[in-house]
Amino acid sequence: MLSPALEVENLVKVYHARGREPVRAVDGMSFRVAQGIIFGLLGPNGAGKSTMLRMLTTLSRPTGGAARLLGFDVVKKPLEVRRRIATVLQETAIELFLNVRDNLLTFARFHGIDRDPALRRAGEVMERFHLSAYADGKVQDLSGGFRRRVQVAKTFMVDTPILFLDEFSTGMDPLLKREIMGHLRDEARKSRTIVLTTQILSEAEELCDDILIMNKGKQVAHGDLNALKLLSQGVYEVAMTFDHLPEQIDAELARLSPLRTHVDQNTIEVAFKVEEGRIMEIVTELARNRRVLRVEVNGASLEDVFVELTQGR
Amino acid sequence: MAAIAAVFYREGKIRSTNLTFIFWDLFYPLCYMLVFGVGINSALGSPMQSAGVDYNAFFLAGVLGMASFGIASNTAWSFFLDRDNGIFYEMLTYPLSRGEYLLGKVMFNVLIGVFQAGITVTLGRLLLGIRVRWDLLPLLFAGVVVGTAGWFFFYAIFALRTRRNDVFNSVTSIFYFVFLFASSMFYPLAPLPLWFRKVAIFNPITWEIDWLRFTSIGLGNARLVGIEGVAFLLFTLASFAFAVRALQQQE
Repeated sequence: MLSPALEVENLVKVYHARGREPVRAVDGMSFRVAQGIIFGLLGPNGAGKSTMLRMLTTLSRPTGGAARLLGFDVVKKPLEVRRRIATVLQETAIELFLNVRDNLLTFARFHGIDRDPALRRAGEVMERFHLSAYADGKVQDLSGGFRRRVQVAKTFMVDTPILFLDEFSTGMDPLLKREIMGHLRDEARKSRTIVLTTQILSEAEELCDDILIMNKGKQVAHGDLNALKLLSQGVYEVAMTFDHLPEQIDAELARLSPLRTHVDQNTIEVAFKVEEGRIMEIVTELARNRRVLRVEVNGASLEDVFVELTQGR
Repeated sequence: MAAIAAVFYREGKIRSTNLTFIFWDLFYPLCYMLVFGVGINSALGSPMQSAGVDYNAFFLAGVLGMASFGIASNTAWSFFLDRDNGIFYEMLTYPLSRGEYLLGKVMFNVLIGVFQAGITVTLGRLLLGIRVRWDLLPLLFAGVVVGTAGWFFFYAIFALRTRRNDVFNSVTSIFYFVFLFASSMFYPLAPLPLWFRKVAIFNPITWEIDWLRFTSIGLGNARLVGIEGVAFLLFTLASFAFAVRALQQQE
């Protein structure tokens, strides 16, 4: 059996600021990540995801506990860890004054790749990320979305066994995002471990083999998508489109105590936690004496699980 | 070594995107000497009584020291640029140690400093007739290398500990004033008041400039200059250690 890509044991990070109470950004987290999977670290803003990533990538020193990447301790063997990772941080990190090709080549150079193979690889990566037309343009002249694209493309210049992506899709158009998600899946198939954080839950739902949800520095759930959905058993999402939005719909919905409600023009999207038999009664009630153009009832989504586990905690 | 070479390559790539930078870095001390130096030289007459050489020759070491000080502060300022571009933190996850990062960052600028010194000394001889001690030139270059690196490490401590570049700019302005003027850069120390000399003698830039002056035109006491050279080397090593520590504390 392969050793885990990542082992985290009781990891703690406390930030001390003058004149303020210490903040426990990560508070005793423990988990393992198998090799060759896509691991998603989810949580609301301020949950501690980026702090966790910063510790795992040796940027930030843990206050307590231990973390090992492929057996190397992030505190005791930081250089060994850095040799095995490529990182996309939350902030756009780019050499603004260099062109796209030189951004890729410089990154490859840091990872010890010689000029000729790096040049060949840069050509392939630019092709893959639709950057060839911009190869000689300075990055400072590119839009934010393109800069992010270059940043993610850099990590495909190397074959480090672990790839960290903090909110990688920020500013990307949906088509490119979809393509990159495909590339990430390919990388995982090649036994590369991918650790990502995201706020876009559909992205995690689609990509991740293993998901950890954290809130206020603590782990609230961990497992694959199906295991997490079990935590939200009895949650149903109802989408209904009317010919025109009923006047009293807000009050009617409020009476049914939904988990969340979203109204957009003539469509309502509501999540309920009820027994299976009750859901059809609710739909019938809402449709009574109204012209309904579309009805859709689904089981819990990752978003439902996420909301249930993190809201109000 | 590969990691240092990678940082060196990166610094060179960035610098070469703007040739104005390179031109100015290479010729700035010469321009300073041709304008400021020649002006003072004419005003004081030749040779200066207190130094026994004319001002152009005296100021050669001063201008080389000023240039290494300037290169060092600009290189340290680039940490702020890297932070703004976000690349600073990403680079800290690359496979290199914090020490290698600092060494690589300064090496390109040390190279510029050495070229700059070569150009300034050669053209100082050709245009201003300064009698250069060519036999001591390797020691002059060694002084430029250690001088530029030492001041860079010193400045890096502040650049890494300061989050705001406007605060850092104020710090550098104070340093420019204190270090450059309370030293042997612009004038001989002998005729100055005792308190001034006491301050200047503990100023690392005096140690650097005395070394550069001795190795460029042979002016000074060899034994004293040797002691000052060792003191500056220790200053450089201590600054390096503190800068590495400051870099390790970046989060």
